[in-house]
Amino acid sequence: MGDPAVAFRGVSKSYGGDKPALRKVSFTVARGETLVLLGSSGSGNTTTLKMINRLVDPDEGEIEVEGRASRAWDPIELRRRTGYVIQDIGLLPHLSVGDNVGLVPRLLGWSEKDRGARIRELLTLVSLPPEEFGGKRPSELSGGQRQRVGVARALAADPPLLLMDEPFGALDPVNRRRLQEEFQALRDRLGKTIVFVTHDVPEALRLAHRIGVMHEGRLLQLGPPGEILDHPANDFVREIVQLDTRETVLGR
Amino acid sequence: MRRVILALVTLGVCSCSGSGSRPIVVGSKNFTEQIILGELLAQLLEARGVDVDRRLNLGGSFICHQALVSGSLDVYIEYTGTALTAILKEPFQYDAKEVYEHVRRVYREKFGLEWSAPLGFNNTFALVMRPAQAEELGIRRISDLKAHEATIRPGSGHEYLEREDGHRGLTKAYGLEFAHPARGMELGLIYQALVEGQVDVIAANSTDGLIEKFGLVVLEDDRHFFPPYYAAAVSRPDAVERRPELADVLSEPEGSLD
Amino acid sequence: MELLQFLLERRDEILDKSLEHLLLVGVSTGIAVLVGVPLGMLLTRREKLASPILGFASVMQTVPSLALFGFLIPIPFIGGIGMKSATIALVLYALLPILRNTYTGIQSVDPAVVEAGRGMGMTDLERLWLIEVPLAVPTILAGVRIATVLTVGLTTIAAAIGAGGLGDLIFRGLSMVDNRLILAGAIPAAALAIALDAVLGLIEKRLSSKL
Repeated sequence: MGDPAVAFRGVSKSYGGDKPALRKVSFTVARGETLVLLGSSGSGNTTTLKMINRLVDPDEGEIEVEGRASRAWDPIELRRRTGYVIQDIGLLPHLSVGDNVGLVPRLLGWSEKDRGARIRELLTLVSLPPEEFGGKRPSELSGGQRQRVGVARALAADPPLLLMDEPFGALDPVNRRRLQEEFQALRDRLGKTIVFVTHDVPEALRLAHRIGVMHEGRLLQLGPPGEILDHPANDFVREIVQLDTRETVLGR
Repeated sequence: MRRVILALVTLGVCSCSGSGSRPIVVGSKNFTEQIILGELLAQLLEARGVDVDRRLNLGGSFICHQALVSGSLDVYIEYTGTALTAILKEPFQYDAKEVYEHVRRVYREKFGLEWSAPLGFNNTFALVMRPAQAEELGIRRISDLKAHEATIRPGSGHEYLEREDGHRGLTKAYGLEFAHPARGMELGLIYQALVEGQVDVIAANSTDGLIEKFGLVVLEDDRHFFPPYYAAAVSRPDAVERRPELADVLSEPEGSLD
Repeated sequence: MELLQFLLERRDEILDKSLEHLLLVGVSTGIAVLVGVPLGMLLTRREKLASPILGFASVMQTVPSLALFGFLIPIPFIGGIGMKSATIALVLYALLPILRNTYTGIQSVDPAVVEAGRGMGMTDLERLWLIEVPLAVPTILAGVRIATVLTVGLTTIAAAIGAGGLGDLIFRGLSMVDNRLILAGAIPAAALAIALDAVLGLIEKRLSSKL
C-alpha cells in the first residue's frame, strides 16, 4: 500500500562506446509484486537490476527504493536489506552451507542462537533438511541444491526486496523447471517484492506478475504476461515473445 | 716500499721480449698488501717486456698454493710462517732464518717450487683494537684479553678462523674462550666492522696502512704465538725457464720494505 | 667415512651455525610476510600502485645478492656488517614471491563469490577478510614457501658480510680448499631448505583441500 517498492524515472547509463546501457528507463514495482525484466544480454535488464542495490549508479535520472532516493541510501545498508541472487550463485566455498546461509545475519550482528534458528528455518524452506545439509560444503552439492542455498541465503535477513539475476540460468532444464515451481510456491507464501532478470521467455511468462520487455537499453513494454502475448507493443516485442509461446504453460 | 721500487727499477735491464710463449700468471691473495705486491711483480715483468696474466685477489692462501702447485699460477708472494704452519702444517718455529731455510728446502723437495730471497719485511698477524676501548679496558697485550673474554667480540676473515696459526691456535695458546663466537667475513670488511663497533678485536696484518690511518692499537703478542712471516716470492721453475726475466725480477736483493 | 667423521667432530659448530642460519631465515621471511602480505592486499585495492611496486620488487630480485649485500654496507643505520643489513637484503629478496602471490591470489578469487559478497552488503574490509583472503591463502602460502627456500640459499652468502650462518662454514672451506668444510655448511643448508619446503608444502596442501 502506498509508495512503490522501487521506482525508476528517466534513468540512463552509459559505459562509453556507442551503445548506452540504459536509455531513459522508467517504471515502478508495487510492493509484493514480481516484476520480470525480460531481455537478452545487452538489453540492459541486468544493469537495471544492479542499480536497485547500487552495485551500479545511474548517469541520469532518479531511482527510489523503499520510498527513498537510492543516492540517499548507504550502499552497504541497502544491500543488506536486499536479497541478491546471481546465476553463478557465488557460495563461499570455504564455508559450510549453514554458514553461507547465515552470512547476512552475521554481518548484521545477530546472536549465534538467532542465526542458527534462522538457518534451520530457511534450509527447511528450500527443501534442504538442515541436519543433512547444514554442515556440508558447497562443493558437495548439486547445481540445483546450490542455487537453493543461494536463495535461502538471500532470504536470511528477511529482506522486503529480492533481486534475482538469471538465478536458474546455470541449471539443466529439469532442475530449472523444478526450481521455478518451488520458487512460485515460496514467493506466494513470503509476499516479497521481487525483481527478476531473465532472457528465458517461458520462465518470464511463468513467474511474472508483470513483465518488462527490454531491448538495447529501452523498456519496450510493461504489463502482465497475457497482455504482452496478446498485444505486443511493437515488432521487437512480438519477435522476442514469439519464440515457443505455443508450448508455454501460462500457469499462474 | 718506494726504495724497493727504485732499487728494482734502476737495476732493471731492458731485455728483448721473448718469443710468443704463454704469459706469466701472477697471483695474489685477497688483501691489500698482497694485491699491491702482486701488481708490483706484474709491472716489473711487463717493464721487461713479459706478458702477464694477473690473477690477483684470489680467495686465500690455500687457493694460491693449490693453483701454484697445479700450474694455474706461476708465481705469488707467500709468507714463511704461513707456509710453515698453515700450508705444510708443521710445528711452529720461531727463528726467522731457520723458518725460511726450512720452508725453502721442503718446498723444493716436496713441490718442486722455488722461494726467492725474502723481500725483507715481516708481515705477521696483528690483533687490532679501537684505541678508546683498549685504553678503557686496559688491554695492551693479547693475554690482557683473557680478563674480558665475556664481552670482547672477535672478528676476522674466514681463513684466519680455520688456520692453526690463526684463531684456533691463538685461543689455545692464550687460553682464551670468547663468549661471543668469532665472526667471519670478507677480509675487506674487517676494518669497517672494527671501526663501526660491530666487533672489538680483529686479526689484521701488521703492515696494513689502515692501522695507522684509523689510529688503531696493535696488541703485543706477549706469548710469542705467531711465527715469523717473511714475505718472498714462490715460483714454478718451469715458468722461469719459459721467461728468464722472471728470475731477474725475483733475484733482487733484500730491499727493505717497512 | 671420512666426511661423516668430520661432520661428527664438528657437530657443535654445525648445530650453532644451523641455528644462526635458521634465525636469519626466520626473521627475514617473517618480516617479508608482515610487509608483503598487507602490501599485496593494498595493491588489489590500488591498482595504480600495483605496477610500480611489483616492478620494484622484481628489480630487487635481479640484483645479484652479493652486490646487494655490498650496496647496503655503507648506508647508515640499516647498513653495515652483520645480521642487520643481511636481514634487510634478505627481506628485499623474499618480498617479490610473497607480494606477487598475495596480489594475484586475491585477484584470482572467483569473481562470482566476490560479487555475491558485494551484493549481500559486505564492506570492502569484510569482503577482504571473509572472502578474498581465506580463498587466497593457498596461493599466498605457496609464495611464502618459495620465498623461504630462496632465503635459505641466499643466507649462505650473507656470511661474506659477517652475518654468520652456515655460509661461514662454506666460505671457510673455500678459503682452506677443504671440501669437507664446504659440505659441512652446504649439506645442512640444503637439508634445511628441503625440510622447510616439505613442511610448508604440507600446510599448503592441507589448506587447499579444505576448499
